[in-house]
Amino acid sequence: MSTPTVAPLREAVAEQQPDETVEADRPWVTVVWNDPVNLMSYVTHVLMKVFGYPEDKATALMLDVHHKGRAVVSSGPRERMEGDTATLHGYGLWATVQHDS
Amino acid sequence: MKVRRRAGVLRVEISDIEAALLGGLLDDFADALAAPDPDDPVTQRLYPAGYTDDPEAAREYRELVESDLRAERIGRLRACRAELPVDGGRMLVDDEAIDRWLRVLNDLRLALGTRLGVTEDSELDDSQPAVQVYSWLTAVQDLLVMQLMP
Repeated sequence: MSTPTVAPLREAVAEQQPDETVEADRPWVTVVWNDPVNLMSYVTHVLMKVFGYPEDKATALMLDVHHKGRAVVSSGPRERMEGDTATLHGYGLWATVQHDS
Repeated sequence: MKVRRRAGVLRVEISDIEAALLGGLLDDFADALAAPDPDDPVTQRLYPAGYTDDPEAAREYRELVESDLRAERIGRLRACRAELPVDGGRMLVDDEAIDRWLRVLNDLRLALGTRLGVTEDSELDDSQPAVQVYSWLTAVQDLLVMQLMP
């Protein structure tokens, strides 16, 4: 993965283009997208199991996915978001890594 | 199929017909998982892109995780196949095994649902055998996941 290059790049870029620094500082997130097959009960179970979220938080996130089409389920370093996304793919959820906006 | 929970362990009673159906589905799915076609929508659904806005990152992600995801899928499927009573009967399933069964049932539903073209608004035609199987898998998965809710 390309994560190790992010920090040095940011320092180099910061001297010339301060606006780019702001871009690089945006946190990484794992997004779960709505899917016509996955059951609401199953998605709640997965969010509780994978992230250790209490049932009410997992249910709220699941409802966001269902009604809004997507929800941010975790945020942090890029490598960890890739790990979370891979774990969710192992559960059959439709997840992606993104820069938060 | 009947399910009862006692002392953290699930007792699942499965009929001979259900066991034969599920066993056949698992065997077919094992073959499909072992020889994935990258252009098949089912493969694409089981192994989604990790990035939608960065093709290079998506390629690296796929190289990093896809073979592991496939090996784990096959491992879960084999474990479930081995637990399934061939002629029906009782299965005792603890929480870890329920989680594994839920994932395998979900994979089966993703594969079948993709083949059937299931969408949020689609009305499924219950006269189709594949739709009946899909609905049955949905009911079984929901029954099991409800056992895990506090």
